[in-house]
Parts: sequence; C-alpha cells; structure tokens
Amino acid sequence: MSLLLASVGFGLVTSAVLAIAAVGFTLQFAVTDVLNLAFAAVMTAGAFAAYLVNEAGASIWVAIVAAMAAGAVLSAVLNYVVYTPFQRRGAAPITLVIISLGTALIVEFGIAALAGGINVSYLMSQGKTHDLGGLILTTVQLIIIAISLVVMVGVYAMLRYTKLGKAMRATAANRMLARSCGIRAGRVIAITWGLTGALCGLAGTVFAIDVGSFNASSTDIFLILILAAVFLGGPGNAYGAMLGALVIGLGTEVSAAYIDADYKYVVAFVILLAMLAVRPTGLLGAAT
Amino acid sequence: MYYLIILLVYAAVDAIACLGLSQQFGVAGVTNFGFIIFQAAGAYVAAVLALPKDTADGGFQTYIGGYGLHFPLPWIGAAVAGGVLALPFTFLVGRRLRGDFAAVGLLVTAVLLNLLVMNYRPLFNGDAGVALVPAPLSSGMFVSTSNNYQYGFAIAGMILVAVAYWFVRRITESPYGRTLRAMRDNDKVADSLGKNLLALRTGAMVTGGAIAGLSGAILVSFIGVWSPAAWSYAETIVLFTAVIIGGAGNHLGAILGAVLVPVGFEEVTRFISNNDPSLPPNLLPSLQWVAIGLLIVVFLWVRPQGVLPERRRVIKLPDRASTPAPARVRDEDGAGGAILSVADVTKDFGGVHAVAGVSLSVGRGSLTGLIGPNGAGKSTLLSLLAGTEKVSSGRITYLGSDITGRPAFRRARIGLVRTFQLASEFKRLTVMENLLSAVPANRGDSFLGALAGRRYWRRDEAAATARAADLLERFGLAAKANDYAGELSGGQRRLVEIMRALMTEPDLLLLDEPMAGVHPELARRIGQALRELCRQGMTILMVEHELAIMDEFCDPVIVMADGRVLAEGTMAELRGRTEVVEAYLVG
Repeated sequence: MSLLLASVGFGLVTSAVLAIAAVGFTLQFAVTDVLNLAFAAVMTAGAFAAYLVNEAGASIWVAIVAAMAAGAVLSAVLNYVVYTPFQRRGAAPITLVIISLGTALIVEFGIAALAGGINVSYLMSQGKTHDLGGLILTTVQLIIIAISLVVMVGVYAMLRYTKLGKAMRATAANRMLARSCGIRAGRVIAITWGLTGALCGLAGTVFAIDVGSFNASSTDIFLILILAAVFLGGPGNAYGAMLGALVIGLGTEVSAAYIDADYKYVVAFVILLAMLAVRPTGLLGAAT
Repeated sequence: MYYLIILLVYAAVDAIACLGLSQQFGVAGVTNFGFIIFQAAGAYVAAVLALPKDTADGGFQTYIGGYGLHFPLPWIGAAVAGGVLALPFTFLVGRRLRGDFAAVGLLVTAVLLNLLVMNYRPLFNGDAGVALVPAPLSSGMFVSTSNNYQYGFAIAGMILVAVAYWFVRRITESPYGRTLRAMRDNDKVADSLGKNLLALRTGAMVTGGAIAGLSGAILVSFIGVWSPAAWSYAETIVLFTAVIIGGAGNHLGAILGAVLVPVGFEEVTRFISNNDPSLPPNLLPSLQWVAIGLLIVVFLWVRPQGVLPERRRVIKLPDRASTPAPARVRDEDGAGGAILSVADVTKDFGGVHAVAGVSLSVGRGSLTGLIGPNGAGKSTLLSLLAGTEKVSSGRITYLGSDITGRPAFRRARIGLVRTFQLASEFKRLTVMENLLSAVPANRGDSFLGALAGRRYWRRDEAAATARAADLLERFGLAAKANDYAGELSGGQRRLVEIMRALMTEPDLLLLDEPMAGVHPELARRIGQALRELCRQGMTILMVEHELAIMDEFCDPVIVMADGRVLAEGTMAELRGRTEVVEAYLVG
C-alpha cells in the first residue's frame, strides 16, 4: 500500500512537470501548425539558463524567471528564423517535422558543446518532507505541483476570457478565416511562440529540479512522455494535454512500482501507439 | 590503407541503407523516422543466426537462438527479418493517419525499442550487445586481418550496393514506381484513382526494411559487434540527412548522400578527431551533431531538391500514325436506368449537417448537373459518393450493388471516379505521367510486375501511352506532355485532372467544378467533349457554378441548398421555380 502511495506521489510530480510541457507543446502545435520536435531541446536550454543564474547566486525560484525568458526568446527566434520562413514557402507539415528535428539537434548539441556534456544540478534544498495522508512529498515537490496548477488555471483563464486567448483559439481553428475576421494571425502566432516558449523554459527547469541532475540530452526521453500526453488528449487540445499528462505521469510512475523501473516508459509508448492507431484525434478530440 | 578498406565497407553499408530510405521516403513518400530499427533488426538477426549456441561461449553473453549458420544464410535471414518487422508498422503509415503523426509514432518506437533492447538482457545481451559475431567464410572468430579478405569484403559490399541500386531502380522506373510517386505527391487523389494506399505503403515499408536489414547484416559481419549504442534514433536522422542532401527520389543521389554525410562526416571524423587531448572530450561529437542539424535546415532551404534532383521522366509521344486505342465497349444493359442511387444520405461534421438526408438518382448516360449556393453540401456529397468521406447514415447503390461501406479506391476500381475542387495534380510527375498513373490494370503496376521488368509491361505501357497521347491531342495539351504538372497554369491543371480521370475509363465520373478558372472558350470545349463521352455511354455528375454551362450541356440539373435536394429538372424548368431562385439569391 505504501509502495502504491509513494509511486502515486512520484506520479503526481511527474504529471505536474509533464502538464506544463504538454500544454505548451500542444498550444504551440495548435496555433502555429508546427509539430515542434525541438521542444525538449528548448526545455534544456531553459534549464541551463536557470543553472547559470542559479550559479551566479540567485535562488532557483528566481532563476526560473530567467529560464522562462530564455525559452520565450529562443522559441521566438526559432520561429522567426526557421519555421515561419519555411511555412511562408508552403513547406509540407512533414518537411517542418524534419526541420524541427534538425533544429532539435542544433539546440541540444549546441548546448552540449557549450556545457561540455557534463551533468549539473541546481544549488537548492529539497525542503522538509510532508506526510499528506500517506503521500510523502517534499516542499520542493509541493511547490512544483503548485506551479503546475497555477499554470493550468492561468492557461484556462487565458484561453477562456482574454482577447489573446480567443484569438489563439480562432487562429488554431482556421488561420485564413481568423485573418479575414480581422485577427492579426501573424502576430498571434509570434506571441504564441513566446508564451509557449516561456512554458517550455519553465517546464525544463522544474524537470531539472525534479530529476536532480541533468545534461544536454536529459530531456530526450521526456519528449516521448510529452508526445504521449499530447496525443492521448488530442493534438492541439490544451485540456486534453492536461488530462493526458495526468494519465501518463501516474501511469509511468505507478507501473514503475510494480514492473522493472527500466520499462516504465513502455506504458507511455503503448498508450501513444494505441492512440495513433485507434483514435489519432485523442480522447477529447472529435471522432474521425 | 586499412582505414581505406574500412571506409569502403562503411560506405557500402550506408549506401545500401540510403537506397532503402530513398525508395521509402524519396519515392513512396513514407517518412519512416524509425528506419534505423530495421538496420538494427537485420544486424541482430544476422548475428544470432551466425553465432553458435550461447552456452558454447561460456555464457559471457546471452542471446536468443544462436544457430551457427554459415554465410549467406545470416544475411538472407537479416533481409527477411527487416522486411517482416515492417509489417506491424504498416498500421501506422497505411491508415489515414497524417504523415507527420505517423512519423512521430515511428520515431517514438525507435527510441523505445532501443531502450527495451538495452534493458532486456536475454534478448540480445542488453546494453553490452552481442560480440564475436563470426565473419562470413572465415574460420576464425574475427574478421581475418589478411588484406585479401578485407579487399574481398569491400568488393562484395560494392557489388551489393550495385544490386540494391538495380533493385530499387527497377521498381522506381516502372508503372508501379510511378504509382508510388503519385501517392507521395497526393495520397488522397491516388486513393480516388483506385490505388490501394495500404498495400502500396506496406510494400514501401517492407522493401525499405529488407534493404535496411541487409545493410545491418553486412555491418555486423564486418565489425563483429552490435549494441544499442550503434542504433540510436539519431542515426536515422543522419540517413535522412544523407538522402535529403543527395536528392530525395534520385537513387544515385542517395549513394552520393551516403558518401557525403554518414561516411564523410561520421566515419572519417571518427578516425581523426577523438585523439586530440587538448579539446574537451565531448566537443567534437557534439559539434558533429550540430552540423548535421544545420545541414538539414540549410539544405532544405537552399536546395530542397538535393544535389542530384529527381530527374524528369520524358516519355516520347507515339507517332500519329499509330492506331488510336479503341474505345472501351460498354455494357449497354439497362441503358437509361439509374447507374447510381442515393437513399437518405447524411453527413455530420461535429454538429454541422453538411449533407442532411439527400436522396437522388443519376440516369445512365446522362450529363447531370449539380448546382447550389456555397455551403449547400455539393462537394461533400461528391466526396460521399466517391468514398473520400464516409457517410454518417444512408445508402449508396451503384450498378445495383450497395457500395456505402466501400473505400474510395475500391469504388474507383469499379468505375466510379471523381476529380477534386482544389488543384490536385501530382506536382512532381509530368503531365503524361499524371495521365498514365491513372490507368488501371497495367501489368507493371504491381511489385512483382515491376520486378519482372520492362519487357513484361511494355505492351500495356505503350497502349496506355497511345491513349494518353490521344487525350492530350483532343484537349490541346500535347505540347505540354513532358512538363511537370505542377508548373502548368490553373486552367491547364484542371484539364490534366479531367484527362487523368478519363484515363481510368470510368462508368460514372464525378466532376467537382471542372471549369473553375478555365477560359470560357476552353470551358465550352470541355463541355462538348464531356457530352460526347456521355453519348458514348459514360455517365457524368458535375458540380458547377457557371449556369451558362449548365444551360448548354446538363440535363437534368439537381439543385441543392442547406444539405438537401431542393429541386430537379432542366434548367428551363428550374428557372421557373421560385424556391430555386430564392435559394440562390439568399445563399
């Protein structure tokens, strides 16, 4: 029983990290039409930006802001330099995926070249351990969950109530139509890259906090969890990504308690392939 | 000297793998981001087929099987394994899944399979991998270091590159290869012309998988070891980079790409770089990957067609002296009866009823018009009839049989063919190839037919070419026969599409705004040609906005509005009915 509870605790933290990343990824895809496989590499860039600020003496919770800024700037630059020019030329979606893979290599191994490929970790304390009716979580883990909840509520409020959120939804649904309704789709897309990039940088840092020590390639496998969560909920569906993150996060960690921990990703993998095969629009997506 | 031989062997392995990928990605348009899995499978299978039973090794490594088979059985087994392994993945690429989603699925599969094999020792010795794989025709455990053996191995590798090249070229330059390229350019249209996408993509996956498996076997036989580190998902990206740079769709380009990227980049630097102690240990490998990434992005921007672009297939038009192909003799039973009837068909998109209970029938030999305001559901109805979209409810009967559940390509094969409202030519096929791609029952339009060679399908091809030349002449496009369809003007592309549909010799042709954007004079010529075809026994259902065309050519005309049939009759009758006029004015 305690094994189950402990794994549920781990699962909740993983879900929290995953939810931030998956929501960022799925919003990015919905609005910009780029299935951005460089997302995990940008996460790493954010995590390293936070590391530099943290090394300079700032608290990691302050450094997170730097990570978000780095993620936002890097994503906006990638959009401006790479993705938008290709889209203007009418590149096929599959070409953009290939390009995003190339971009992922550039970013990931660019960081590796700069950082020397070593593992680093933040200077921080894990805080006290709390027993919440059997769930054992540290203060840091509770903060991660809290950050994630704040982000989820924030994304919901933005999409639901703000002008920007409505413009994003309109652009996602039909870019041409949005444009002819007076929405400046190009600007909405640029802002979306910035916003989702900030989420990406945030996700990278909380991921790094969660795993303890990281290097330029640490997020490779995490990308698969993101993809699984995104496809489970339906690509482009923000609420679906939240649900997907919860299922995948709990699924991988709880299964790790019962089967060999080396195979915990297999659960995510099976879910992802099953979704692609049976219902590529996701649990919350429309039926085909 | 020794390095040179090693490089030659690596070049052969990479070239063969790139040929497989070129066939799969460049020709058939299947983006298999898990390509490396198939090379890995070939290598592992070749290893365990060649290795003795594991107990014989004193148990320092564990693996399944261990059959101690002699060359060439392990290599053959590897190719078979690569091909068979492709089968379970066809559910990803064969269904109507978006190509980029399928690619992501395959990429994820590659990462996870690597992880699984790394952690599960009993299969292939986990992350340590299998070692001491016996070399072909060699008595010792290792590849003999004798120069002659090494040379022999390198030469054998080169010969296999030539064989692989011959193989993929024979497929690509056949009618079957043309069908694959048509699918690559526009799969939905290929489907509507009667091409079985699932079978075609399965063929591409299996062929590419088998070739990749063979390349893995050669590699493992040479280096004697194979472990998960050798086939990380990133190796697939290297091969893709090679094919993109060399020229996707050009097999010589694939070989060139293999020499430039994996060999020139990875293998060569492997010998030079890692010995310099003044540099950080990970710097050069990291920069290599950065460079691969840059190559992909920069090349796709600067020269997306690659160093050696896919070449244009020029097909000579037959002399006008040749006899025109005889028109197909049609079954005249039930002439004048209904060829197609639709009963209470609906289609919902989310909450929108695009087609809300349509019943109609199309008389055999008629040129029926379908008009209605924008959003009336005309194009959706056409898609339902052709099978491009599935009905939500209702029944479609064609030639007396219920076809409601049949997929588009099966409907096309029984003579029910459509065209599309948006430009849908196969862009990177010439006009002539566009027409030829639609011909059903060409003997060369199958995997085995393609392998049988030109002599096997030459006669069918000549007949089809003559028929295509005839059509081109009739529609005044003979001069453009060998131009890429993607480079034509809008009106010319509409013509190509109509001619391509006619090449299938349909019984019922569904045309979606065939005259949109076409010069009025040409539109009238098309109308006359269509009427002539109907006189010869074809039936046509045509969506069109130009009422003058309807007036002149179509009888009867069906009016749709808000997803329903509003009226049916001659244009003269319809003009007298107020609800029809209103629907147009209001819509």
